Amino acid sequence: MLQNLISAISLGSIYLLFALGMSLVWGTVGILNFAHGVIFMFSAFVTYLIDRQVELPLIGLVAIGVAVGAVMSVAMQLLAFEPILRRAKDFRTAELQILIAAIGVATIPLAIAQYETKSNPFGFASTTFTSKTYEVFGARISNTQIIIIVAGIGISAVMAFWLRSSRGGLALRAIGVDSETTSLMGVNRSRMAIGVMALAGALAGLAGVLLTLNLGAITPESGDTLLVKAFAAVILGGVGSVAGVVVGSFALALIETIVLVETAGTWVSAVSFGIIFLVLLFRPQGLFGRAEVRRT
Amino acid sequence: MIDWYDANFVLIQGTIINLLLALSLQVPFRFGVFSFAGVGAYGIGGYTAAILILERQVSAIVAILAAILVGVVVCYVLGLVVARLGGLYLGMATIAFTLIVGVVAINGGDLTGGVIGLFGVLADLPTITLLAFAVVAVLAVAYTERGTLGRRIEAVREDPELAASVGVNVRRYRQAAFVASGALGAAAGAMNAIVRTTIGPTDIGFIVVVLALTMMIIGGTRSWAGALIGAVIFTWLPSLLEEIGEWQHLVYGTLVALAAIFMPGGLFGVITDGWRAWQRRRRPAIPQAEAPVPAVAAAQAEGGDVEARAEAELASLGTVDEGSAR
Repeated sequence: MLQNLISAISLGSIYLLFALGMSLVWGTVGILNFAHGVIFMFSAFVTYLIDRQVELPLIGLVAIGVAVGAVMSVAMQLLAFEPILRRAKDFRTAELQILIAAIGVATIPLAIAQYETKSNPFGFASTTFTSKTYEVFGARISNTQIIIIVAGIGISAVMAFWLRSSRGGLALRAIGVDSETTSLMGVNRSRMAIGVMALAGALAGLAGVLLTLNLGAITPESGDTLLVKAFAAVILGGVGSVAGVVVGSFALALIETIVLVETAGTWVSAVSFGIIFLVLLFRPQGLFGRAEVRRT
Repeated sequence: MIDWYDANFVLIQGTIINLLLALSLQVPFRFGVFSFAGVGAYGIGGYTAAILILERQVSAIVAILAAILVGVVVCYVLGLVVARLGGLYLGMATIAFTLIVGVVAINGGDLTGGVIGLFGVLADLPTITLLAFAVVAVLAVAYTERGTLGRRIEAVREDPELAASVGVNVRRYRQAAFVASGALGAAAGAMNAIVRTTIGPTDIGFIVVVLALTMMIIGGTRSWAGALIGAVIFTWLPSLLEEIGEWQHLVYGTLVALAAIFMPGGLFGVITDGWRAWQRRRRPAIPQAEAPVPAVAAAQAEGGDVEARAEAELASLGTVDEGSAR
């Protein structure tokens, strides 16, 4: 029982690290980034390539993953999303074009990783970081899991505080409410967007490295699976709300763990799809979302 | 001709199936409904046809018609259920629906063959029958692109409130879009299962969503001809790209991304724009007619007047922001 709870919490923290950036970008600058999963995977993949050449400590792995994620995310914003926003005639068309472009761009790093690994799982073999396991009341918890949980909850708390109390956070939330008025108030939307994208990419990279450490290895395709789950977490909690993402991620992980324990494992993936569907039907703004949903 | 057909009939059948699949996303898209339900119907249609043929030994045409019926009913109900969603939210809900179809197929036990899927779906389906289905579908779709009906659909897409204000029943048009995408998707799925004699969960997942979306975007979203262009390219390109093998996905991805960024109208849009520009040039027309936006043209005419250009850019940004102000 306790063992299942621990695995649910660490799984939820991975979802949280991944979904937090996605939710922030979607809720503020209005971009739903379908390439978020591939940024997550490719950060871990680049880290793996470097780790093959040199022995790296944990901090080195994390630094590389975070940097690669941030760079990829900013590159997407500058090369794909900004040009679309500049050309599109209204935001609604731009939104769909961005979604489609992101799906297209996402296949490029995926193809590279699949080619290099022949679609086999990859992990960090030569890192100096060693996994240890501790016994707590008869349940086992590894040091990687502790790092994941602390990072997930810690970063969410810092981000919630920053969004609520800093000038930058205020500007960002204002963009989410009304970007035109906000730019009249002197907020540089495109610069904020680049910053938010960098942050989201960095978080995805962090999640990628930590999940790879935790599982030992991940496949190039794992980004897509995580993407759908993160959607479920974000939609369940409410787009743009940090508290919502936290609750959504842990709730999803808990339900999935229960389904996994109680039934044959094949229904687990239905949980996230079902959540997306049901929440959109009955509470489209999510548990913690602002009560405005665009219709038509 | 006969030789060529014999050598390529697999690709020809594939083109027809992909055309219907691309149309199943394109038709709702043209109605302003961003729905992936057509791909879900593709899976449902494929399994319906396969199960009917395996269990009841029905003929191919009966199986396809039954699949279309099931697809239409499911998508009609889905359309009612998600009626209040729009934009990205609708897209996400229908992607979730499509992926659930795959999960149900995996958990369907003996009926759907579980993870492995169904094999030996043998039924006689000549290419001419496929072609007949495709021609009927294309004629029906082409009819919705012309005249009063075409203009109404355009109004429903571009400005639903305006359309409603002039007496167009927007909700009914959207519902029709779901039904059409269900029929087209289910037909494509059933044909695919029969032509390949097999169907499994891996044939109906996210990868089909990406393929259908790719064909629609590269070809063009405004007309059935765009779907045809996309279907032809993405059925024949893989066999042409055989030598680069593993880099196929890379080429696909780059094409989709570039198309989405630089030619939102797709190849069909580029072709029609080019045709119009050529016709304009034949007439001794107004100079500067090629300039896309008057404001930008004015800015350029000023010759490096930074202020004017910035103003023009600001104006174009303003239209973007207007849309996002909810």
